[in-house]
Parts: sequence; C-alpha cells; structure tokens
Amino acid sequence: MNFAATLGFGLPLGIGLAAIGSGIGIGFMGKGAMEAMGRQPEILPKLQVAMIIGFGFAEALTIYAFVTMFFLQGRIG
Amino acid sequence: MIAAVSTALILPKHPHAALSLAAGQLLAALNFFFLEKLVKLFTHAFVARREGGTSGLPGRFFAFASLKVALVYGVGAALTLSGRVDLIPLLAGFSLPLLALFLKSLMLAFGSGPNSLVRRAPRTAATSGNVAKPAALFLILALLVLHGAALASEATVATGSASVAAAPPEHAGSAPAEHATAKSEGGAQHLPNWIVLLNDYFPHNPVVHWMHENEILVFAWLSGLLFLVITWIAMRRPKPVPGQLQNALEWIVESMDDVCGGLLGSHKERYIIFICALFFYILTINLLGIIPGFMSATSSLDLTLALALITFAYVQFWGIRNLGILGYLDHLAGSPRDVIGFLMLPVMVPVHILGELAKPVSLSCRLFGNIFGEDTLIVVFVGATALLLKASLTALAIPPMLGISALFMMLQTLTAIVQALIFSLLATVYLYMMLPHEEHAHGETEPAHS
Repeated sequence: MNFAATLGFGLPLGIGLAAIGSGIGIGFMGKGAMEAMGRQPEILPKLQVAMIIGFGFAEALTIYAFVTMFFLQGRIG
Repeated sequence: MIAAVSTALILPKHPHAALSLAAGQLLAALNFFFLEKLVKLFTHAFVARREGGTSGLPGRFFAFASLKVALVYGVGAALTLSGRVDLIPLLAGFSLPLLALFLKSLMLAFGSGPNSLVRRAPRTAATSGNVAKPAALFLILALLVLHGAALASEATVATGSASVAAAPPEHAGSAPAEHATAKSEGGAQHLPNWIVLLNDYFPHNPVVHWMHENEILVFAWLSGLLFLVITWIAMRRPKPVPGQLQNALEWIVESMDDVCGGLLGSHKERYIIFICALFFYILTINLLGIIPGFMSATSSLDLTLALALITFAYVQFWGIRNLGILGYLDHLAGSPRDVIGFLMLPVMVPVHILGELAKPVSLSCRLFGNIFGEDTLIVVFVGATALLLKASLTALAIPPMLGISALFMMLQTLTAIVQALIFSLLATVYLYMMLPHEEHAHGETEPAHS
C-alpha cells in the first residue's frame, strides 16, 4: 500500500471524524447553556465563562487532529 | 521561573554550562537569604536601641555574617578555583536574580503597588499605574517569551529532527526563493509580510537576514512594543471621564477582572496581573495578524509553547508555594484519605503527573492550531484568487473572493479574541485547581437561587 496515498486519504478523513466528535460535544454544551440561560437569565456571566472553557476543551480535540495534519502534511508528497 | 526555564532549555545542548548556571543561581539565592537575615537582625538591633534597649548588635548578627561570608564566598571561591565550572554561565546565573529584582523594582516604580490594578472603581480617576503596571509585567513576559522562543528555534535548527518544535515549515531554514514559489501554491504557508519583502529587496543585508530568520521574534517584540505604546497613549493623562481609548482599555481590564477574579475568588489580587498580561499579550499578537503585511507570531508553535511553559511553571510554582511541598505531593497523589486511596497510589500518581504535563501541550497546541488554521484558510483563498487572476478570470476572481476573504477575516478577528480569552481563562482554571479548595467550598454554595 502506498504510504503517501494512505496519508493523503487518511488525514482529511481523520480531521473530519475529530470534527464530528467535538461538534457534537460543543452542540450539547451550547444546548445546555442556552436552556439554562432561558430558564435563569441572571446566571448568564457565570454560565458564559464555564461554557467558553468547555468549548475550549471540546474544540481542542479537533485542534489536535489539525496539528497532527500539519506535522504529517509534508509527507503526502 | 526564568532560571528554571532557561536552565531547562540550555540543558540538552550544554549540560556543563547549564549546571554552572544553576550553581550560580543557587549561590545567588543563598546570598539573598543571608542578606535578608542580616538586614533583619541589623534593623532589629537599631530599633531595640532606639527604644531604650541595652546592647548593640546581637551575637547572632556576627554569627550569621561569618556564616554567610564563609558559605557564599567560600563556595564561590571553591567553584572558581576548582575549575570545574565555566565562569561565564556561573556569573550569568549569579546575576539573573539581580536582573529579576531590578525588573521588579522597575515594575513597582511603574505602578503604585500590585493592588492598584484591581482595586479600581470605574468612576474614580485612574492613576497611570493601573495599566502601566500590567504593561511593565507584559514587557518582562515578552522578554521571557523571546528568550524561550529563541532557544527553542535554535534547538529546532540544531536538531532538525521531527520534534514538536520543528512544525512550522518555513520558520528558520528556508531560502527566500522557496518563499516566493511556495506562496502561490497556497499550502501551509504564510502570506508574505514586510520582512519577507525586505529580504527580497536586500538579500545580503545581515540585519534583514537575521530578521527574516527570526521573524517570529521580531513580530512578538513588535506587538509587545505596540501594546506598550497603546497603553502609554491611553493612560498618559487619565481622566475622570475616560476618552475612547482609555475607556476601551478599562473595560477590557474590568471584564477580565470580573471573569477571572470571579473564578479565583479571594486569591484574585495576586494572580490577576499575570492573567491580564497573558491576555493582552496574546490578544495583541493575534490581532496583529489581521493587518496586511504583518503576521501573528502565535502561528508558530515555538512562541505558543514558550507561553504555555511559562504558564505551566507559574502554576506549578504557586501550587508548591501555596500547598507546601507535602501538600503538593498530596495533590499529585490525588489526596488519598482512606485505604482504597492509598492502594490506588501507584496508578494515580502517574496519571496526575501526565495530566499536569498535558496542560502546556494542550494550551500551546490549541492556540497554535487555531491561529495557524485561520491564517492558512485566508492564505488558501488569497492563493485561489491569485490563481484565478493568473488565468485572467478577473470577473470571477475579484468580487466573490474578496467577499469570502473579508468574511474569513471577520472570523479571524473573532478567533483571535476568543483564543486569547480561552488561553488566559484556562490558565486561571489550572491555577484555581492548584489553590487550596477549602475556602471555595463555601463560595460555591453561597449564591442561592432567588
């Protein structure tokens, strides 16, 4: 099997898979935050901070895949 | 902190020099310790005499003095005479804490005290120390970062391996010709900035060449200076009714204070300055990338790694300082309180250590990935525009591509702000995890639902 071709096929696919995962995570988090915000608007500042931190953690997973892609991008050839 | 970072960074290349550096620092720390004792004893004696005490200097003073002379200078002389250590790193290590003290006093001269930043009501006339203080700290931070980044990039060039720091492809080694060809391909390349242009025009000028090789450093310095200038302009003559710039800065500082201070609770005063400095530094660097002809220095892993390592060292330092050595080890072991906890010890310790080590990696990779990703996105679209122009499809190239690029630039602005916020927020969270938690347990239950 050709290494470069495998890499060229796998890297975008991997990023897509990672993006699905963190997209679902961020979606759930946003949903929960929105619901809480609607139910209790005065909690907004505290909620926003926690939400952004959670977004950061969820988003980091995709970023890892992204960085891996940058490391391996030169090998595609 | 500086000492640890610099020692660790030099260590793989010159173990000998690093050891002598560390020895010098230890010596300096010893020196300061004894000096402090001596001064305390000395002033004690004077105060006692003024209040009608009897004797002059107590015997302990002389004991300490002779101990100090014997220990510090003896060790220094022994080290020098034995010829085992290099003199220059020893001297450098000895003078590093002095430099830190100097910078600290500079900082104190700028601001009226560490609390001036946070104890500011919105209506009162702000003294100029308020923002000059984080600005000065910021400059120190920038110094630190550049030191780390320079060493890291040196290491990158030296090893040339596929290590983590070797990621930015065009960072150090490539020739200008490669730049010229590669930017039309639109791969993982940056848009050309003014340093590249300078390098194209004056290829043999050593200064320009140095700047081209270290463009990350140049842009990091530039944004640090830019922020200093902006704060200086804004806070030069602080008014009771703030102008536009002053208002904006005060708003940012206050909202950072709200967000991070709310998280840190009663420990806020000590740490908020570091957090604010991080935030402003990253924000300036990120936003600099939007201006055409400049690049954001955070799109290099070197700089983000240096920032994350500083945060890591800071968090660990305050963790040890607050919890004590034993408390820190207890924290690392997952605070075992019962039999099961002690049985889990061999599992929990590596897990916690790995978790601590993963923090700087995730911090740096997140910042780098986001900023670099946005940059690459814009580069790809600009490259596509250039390709369409080359194929003389002007009507197809200019209007839609311009719109798309503008859209992504708006996205880039958003990313820049949010990533700076996330970096400093996560630093706050890591710091919060290291603090003693007893006081916070009450704070959590306090805000009752209305």
